[in-house]
Amino acid sequence: MADTLGTLARADATRLKGFAETLIADLGQIDVLQSRTGLVMLPMRDTAKGVAFHMGEVLMSEAHIRKGDLDGYGMRRGHDLEASMAMALVDLALSAGVQVENCTAFCADEAKLLAEQDADTLRRIEATRVNMETF
Amino acid sequence: MAYVATRGGERAIEQSERLFRSEMGAIDGARVQQVKESLPYLVDRVMGEASLYDEYLAALALAQTGGELYEAVLLLRAWRTTQPRLCVAAPVEQDRLFTHRRISAAFKDIPGGQVLGPTLDYAHRILATEVLQGETYEPAAVDPAETPTPAYHPGVSAWQAENDLVDLPEPDAVLGNDIPDLTREPLLFPSKRAHTLQSLARAETGGVLALGYAAMRGYGQAHPTVNELRLAEAEIEVKHPDGRSFSAGRVKVSQAEVVDKKGEKLGLGYAATFGWNEVKCIAAATLDLNSPGAEKGSPTEEEFFLYHTEGVESSGFCIHFKLPHYVTFQSSLDAMRDARAKKAAKPKPNVTEPAE
Repeated sequence: MADTLGTLARADATRLKGFAETLIADLGQIDVLQSRTGLVMLPMRDTAKGVAFHMGEVLMSEAHIRKGDLDGYGMRRGHDLEASMAMALVDLALSAGVQVENCTAFCADEAKLLAEQDADTLRRIEATRVNMETF
Repeated sequence: MAYVATRGGERAIEQSERLFRSEMGAIDGARVQQVKESLPYLVDRVMGEASLYDEYLAALALAQTGGELYEAVLLLRAWRTTQPRLCVAAPVEQDRLFTHRRISAAFKDIPGGQVLGPTLDYAHRILATEVLQGETYEPAAVDPAETPTPAYHPGVSAWQAENDLVDLPEPDAVLGNDIPDLTREPLLFPSKRAHTLQSLARAETGGVLALGYAAMRGYGQAHPTVNELRLAEAEIEVKHPDGRSFSAGRVKVSQAEVVDKKGEKLGLGYAATFGWNEVKCIAAATLDLNSPGAEKGSPTEEEFFLYHTEGVESSGFCIHFKLPHYVTFQSSLDAMRDARAKKAAKPKPNVTEPAE
């Protein structure tokens, strides 16, 4: 899976919107093909018979923008059209070579924060590990 | 069945709805936030039964209905019909679940070990009544371990297959819009496996527990042992227009595998749902384990448990009995009166008094 997109999809919404604002002037004219909320159906693999089945739908926000023949795309959980558009702007900037260093640095910072959050969660889970003895 | 149209209730209906809502008062964003933060397991249960994942929408539905769960689920199921479907994500695989809780009652030394995660299983069930006396109940903080636990674990059933304890089929190749979908096609019997598991994922928790419990108590063919229970977060893997796959976020899911011996191998039952709701998953997996060969009309027979655990339909059918049934009921009364009149009109047999 593309890590940059995955990072942008989970990045803090306020920081993402703030950073994307700084890209707008340099990106110039862009076409907004889609900015909407909708549902993504999430299937799961049944481990007993190997069949994929639908667990249900997740509310998502989606943005699809274009500059020339380059696409910018954002999809994030929940109802936040500004955040999905901000993700699409960063994605487009990376493809179009706009402020690439800044974009890469922003994504690296966010990825680090997300990794720290995950590690913190996993340290708390590890505290509940059972080393079982039977008698 | 016949109904009768009635008039004269318009004002009463309007006032009755106002009376219901007046108990909850005004609802604002702060209340929704409070419901979301303070009742995560209830929010999870509602999202699972609605088969719609968004904590804010679920919290709003709970706030708006005052916690009337059937109404909350109905609101969410109705709302989802207003939204377009953007795509179908890639299937979530068990070994890619960001796992918070993973236990097995079948084997103590499962690969990856057992982590209890968040649970009240071993807690003393003591009501914190001091809160009602003005004190604050402050739960003790977790002492985190030095090193993080691995986020991903192999499946117990995969390990059992390696040890020739279970037969696992190759993963089915059906993906995307080709996966059978109950929200777009009817449930027919014998049910497709994808329909069965989707229906159980959306099922009403209490209904699944009642029927699963019946199977556990002996009204079934197989006794469940929890092979593996997981509470986890699943990635929503979607595609960029240029074809790259990426995770668009995570959602909480629960999954349970139960086993029973079947000849020389183990038989597996499986269930999963949105949110963290392990009772529902264990009970649903028990029904799945018991359904092959179940007697028609028994609680473990597929048609029986899938129809009777669909919460929106069952609660809707139940409450429809409150609607005016004046015609059918009057017809029953007429039949009773007729029978009584006929009995009264019948000449009494000549009964001779016994001689004194």
